[in-house]
Amino acid sequence: QTEEASASAAAHYVPLLINTRAVDTRWQGDYAGNLQLGLGYTADDNFMFGQYNGLYEQGTTVIGNLRWQDFSDGNSYWRASVDNLGLDTREGEIAWGRSDKLRLSFGFDSQVQVSNNSGRTPFRGNDSPLGLPENWVAGSTTGDFSQLDASLHRFDQELERDKLTAALAIKLNDQWHFDSSLSYEERQGTSVTAGAMYVDASSGDATLLPMPVDYRTTEFDVGVTYSSGKLNLQGRLDYSDFDNKDSILIWENPYRSRYPDSTGGLGLAPDNDQLQGRITGQYIISPTARLQFDGSYAVANQDQKYLDYSLNPAASISEPLPRDAFDGEAQTGTLNGKLWLRPLKKLDLELFYKARERDYDNPRDGYRYLRGDGSRQPDPALTVYNTSHHVVSQTMGVEGTYRMPLRSRLQVEYAYELVERENTAVEETEEDRITVGYRIQPISNFTARLELLYGNRRADTYNWDQRYYALLDVELINATPDSQRFINHPELSQYYMANRDQEQGKLDLTWLPADNWSLNFNLLARNDDYDKTYTGLRYSYWERYHASASYSPSASFSASIYGGYDRFESEQMGRSFRGGAEKNAFEIYPPLPQASDPDRDWRMDTTDTSLTVGANLLWSITKTIEVEADYSFVDTQSKQDFRSYGAADVSPQNLPSVNTTLHHFQTSGTWHMREDLSLRLDYQYYRYRADDWALQGVRADTIDKVLTLGASNPNEQIHYVGVSAVYRWE
Amino acid sequence: EPGKQKMIRRLARILLCAGCCLAAPLLVAEEPGCLDCHEADDGSSVHTVFNTAHGNLAGGGAAACTSCHGPSEAHDRRGRRNQPDVSFGPKWVSPLEQRNGACQSCHENGAQMLWAGSEHEQENLACADCHQSHQLRDPALDQSTAQAQCTDCHAQVKAQLHLPSRHPIAEGKTACTDCHNPHGSASDASLHQVTLNENCYSCHQEKRGPLLWEHEPVTEDCALCHKPHGSVHGGLLTARGPALCQQCHSAAFHPSVPYGAEGLPSAGGNQNLLGKNCLNCHSQVHGSNHPSGARLTR
Repeated sequence: QTEEASASAAAHYVPLLINTRAVDTRWQGDYAGNLQLGLGYTADDNFMFGQYNGLYEQGTTVIGNLRWQDFSDGNSYWRASVDNLGLDTREGEIAWGRSDKLRLSFGFDSQVQVSNNSGRTPFRGNDSPLGLPENWVAGSTTGDFSQLDASLHRFDQELERDKLTAALAIKLNDQWHFDSSLSYEERQGTSVTAGAMYVDASSGDATLLPMPVDYRTTEFDVGVTYSSGKLNLQGRLDYSDFDNKDSILIWENPYRSRYPDSTGGLGLAPDNDQLQGRITGQYIISPTARLQFDGSYAVANQDQKYLDYSLNPAASISEPLPRDAFDGEAQTGTLNGKLWLRPLKKLDLELFYKARERDYDNPRDGYRYLRGDGSRQPDPALTVYNTSHHVVSQTMGVEGTYRMPLRSRLQVEYAYELVERENTAVEETEEDRITVGYRIQPISNFTARLELLYGNRRADTYNWDQRYYALLDVELINATPDSQRFINHPELSQYYMANRDQEQGKLDLTWLPADNWSLNFNLLARNDDYDKTYTGLRYSYWERYHASASYSPSASFSASIYGGYDRFESEQMGRSFRGGAEKNAFEIYPPLPQASDPDRDWRMDTTDTSLTVGANLLWSITKTIEVEADYSFVDTQSKQDFRSYGAADVSPQNLPSVNTTLHHFQTSGTWHMREDLSLRLDYQYYRYRADDWALQGVRADTIDKVLTLGASNPNEQIHYVGVSAVYRWE
Repeated sequence: EPGKQKMIRRLARILLCAGCCLAAPLLVAEEPGCLDCHEADDGSSVHTVFNTAHGNLAGGGAAACTSCHGPSEAHDRRGRRNQPDVSFGPKWVSPLEQRNGACQSCHENGAQMLWAGSEHEQENLACADCHQSHQLRDPALDQSTAQAQCTDCHAQVKAQLHLPSRHPIAEGKTACTDCHNPHGSASDASLHQVTLNENCYSCHQEKRGPLLWEHEPVTEDCALCHKPHGSVHGGLLTARGPALCQQCHSAAFHPSVPYGAEGLPSAGGNQNLLGKNCLNCHSQVHGSNHPSGARLTR
C-alpha cells in the first residue's frame, strides 16, 4: 500500500510553469480577422537596432499586418497572414484545408541582415571583378596608396533572403499520412571577405573586399507516415540544391608588390546538392517496452568546374590541374536509437545508441598550387594533396530513472563515446560520461533539481605531424625547407580531441510562493580541464547565474523581471617559434632551438562576462486600454591577459577590455475605441555602444599589409515611433 | 369495447413514453448539450474554438467539444457539479494522461511521434501547458509569440538571445522550433535534424560542401567554434580571433606568436590582430574549393 502511495505521489509531480503573458480572448479571440495599418518612423540610420528587424534606415515605413481565418464552412477553412508588409522583413502565408484531411499552403518569407556599414572601400562595382579607380596609385604598403582617401566610398553590407514555400499535407486514411513541401530561396546582397596575394606567409598583401552574394537554394521533401497502435513510422526524402551565381571574386590588386596590373581571385562557395533519406519510428513492444529509432543517409555532391590555379596571365603555370572538377561526394549516415523499458513500477531504463559517419569519398590528387595570384607555380616537390577527413562517432549508454517519495526522481546515466578520425593528430578519442540528476517536489509549490556530470575523455597518441604528412609526400617533406613548414608544434593539443576531465553542475529552484507569483533560480558551473595539454587550450570554466520572477494576479495583468550573469574563463598556452620542428616522418632530428625553448612560451587568460537584466509588463488598464512594456539591459566585457616566460622578444601586453552596452526599451499602448477598431501607439528606444579594439582607431591604411574598411564601432541611439489602426471583423 | 380502447390508449402511452426514454440518450449522443449552457455571448473563450481547426472536429458544433472533452454525460446533466470527462482547467483538471491522450488521439505522428520519452514528457508537461487550442492563434504556433513561450521556462536562454551576436530569434525570423522539436526527437537537444551540423546546413547550405580543401572541425561539429544561442563575440564565435584559431594552430611563424596590445594602432597595427585577424588572409575558414586554396586563403 505504501508502495502504491509512493507511486501515486510520484505520478502527481506537476511542473511549476511560468507564464508571463495575459490571455486576452476578448480582442484576439472573438474576431475572424484583423488588419493593422499605420506608419512608423525611425529616427536615424543604424545597423545594430535594425540588424534583423528591417528598421535600419532613417525615415518612414509602412506598418502592415493581417490576420484572417475562416472556419465558418464546416468542411473547409482558410487562413491568411501577412506581417511587416512595409519592411524588408515581410512574410505571409495563405492556407486552405479540409478539416484534418488536407492542408495546402503557400508562403513567402523575407529576411534582412544588416552588418556594420560604417566602413569604406576604394573598390568600384557591386559585382566581380572589383576594380580600383583609374587614378589609383599602387604601393608596397597601404601607406603608399596616395589616392586612398579620395577613393573611399561607403557601401551597404546587407544580405536579403527571400523564400517562397508551398506545402501539402494529406491524411489518406487513419493509418497513412502524406506530406510534401517545396521551397525556393534567394540570398542576395553584399558581405565582406578578405583576399590576399603573397609568396609566403610573411609577405601577404591583404585586402578586405565587398563580396557580392547571389545564392539560390531549392529544396523539396516528401514524407509518408504510417501509424498503427504499436508501430509508427515516417519515411522522408529530402533534396536540396544550392546554386551560387558567382564562382569567383576577382579584385584588382591595390599593391605594387606583385606583377603590374595583377588581379586576385577568390574561390566562392561552389554549387552543391544533397539527397537525404530518413526513417523515423517507434515500436511499442509492450506497455513496458518501447523502441525508438531515427536513421538517415545523405549524399552531398559537388562537381563544380575548377577555377584555374591563377587567373593572372602573368602567373607561370607549368603543370596543369590534375582534373577539371572536384567530383566530390560526402556521404553522411546517422543512426539514433533508444530502447525504453520499465522493469519495475518505479524504475525506467533507457538504452541508447547514437552514431554518425561522414565519409569523405573523393579522389586524392596532388595540386601544385599558387599561394597567391602574384606568385609562380612552386616546384613539383611542393605538391599538396587533398585529404580525407573521414569521421565516425558513436555513443552508447544507459539511463535509469527511479521515482521516489515526495515526488522525487533520481536519474543516473552512463554514456560511452568513441570518435574515430582519419588524417588528424588524434585518430581516436574515447569518453566516459556519468550524469546523476535528482528532482524533488516536496511541497506542491516548490521544485528543486540538481544535476552533476563527470566526463573523462582520453585521446590516443597525439600524432602532431599526421595532418601535415597527410597533405604531403615523404619526398616532398624532405625537400621542403624548414622555413616553409606550417605544421603544428609537437606540444600542441587541439582541444576538441585532447584529453579532458569535465565536471558540470546544474541547480534549478522554482517556487510559487502564492498563486500569482513564481520565482526561479538557475545555476550552472562547468569546468573543462585539458589535463594532458601543454600548449593549446588548457582549461576553461563557465558559470551562469540566472534568476527570474513573475507576477500574474489576473488575466489582465502580468509582470516579470529576470537577470542573468555569465562568466567564461579560459587559459591557453602557446610557444612562439620559427622554423620547422622535425624534418622526416621516419627519422628524428634535433628540434630547432626556438621550438624547444620553454622560455618562448606565452599564456593567455581570457574572461568573457555578460550581464543581462530585463523586465516586462502587460496590463489591460481598462476593458478598452492595454499597455505593454519591455526593457532589456545587456552589458558584456571581454578581457585577454598575457603572461610570458622569459624570452625578450616574447612579451605580449594585455589587450584592452572589449565592452558592449545595450539599453532597449519598447512599449505599446492600444485603445480599443470601437468594437471593430483600435488605435495602437508603439515606441522603442535603443542605445548600443561597443569599443572593440579591432575597430577602434583602425583606419583603412592603419595596417601596412592589410587594406581594411576603416569601420568604426557601433554607437547608436535610436528612437522609433509607430502609429497604427487595427480593424477587426467577425 | 370502451374498456378495451382505454386499455390500448394506455398501452400506447406507455410505449410512447418508453420509446422516448430509450431514444432520449441516443438523441443526446447525437447532439450533446454543450452549447445549451456555453453560449456564444457568455464572455468565455469556449466559442472561439469554432474559429479554429478544432472547431470542425467530428462535423463541428457540440460534437467538436466532445471530441476532446469526451462524451461528458454527467457534466451534461449537472454541469456545475460534475466536470467534463476530460477537463483542461482551470476549474477542473483531469489526470495528465487523459489530457494529453485527448490530443494524441489525433496528434501522434509527424513531429509528435517521439513525444514518449522526450524531455518535456518526462517533466510531465501537458500539451495544454504550451498550446491554447481555443485561441484564434495558438501562441505556441505563432512565430511572433512562440519564442516568449519557450523562454518563460528556459529563461537562461533568453539572456543569451540578447547578446551582441545572435540569430534573429527576438525578431521572430528564426524560431526556437526551427532547430528544436519540443515534442522530442532522437537527436541531442531534441534537434529536428539528425545532427547539429545538419541543423545548421538547413539554412547555411553554402557551407555543406564537400570541398576540395576542408577545415576538419567544420565538417565535424559547428559548435566547436560557434554558440548558436548568442555570443559576446562576433559571428557567434566561442572566442575571438586570433586566440580562437591559436587554440588549434601553433605552426612556425605567425600562428605561434602571441598578439597583445603592442599590435594595436597606436603601436603600428598588427595585420594578424586587427581587421579580421587571421581571416585577413585565411578568409575561407569554412573550406575552399579553389585549386590554390590549400591554406584556405583562396
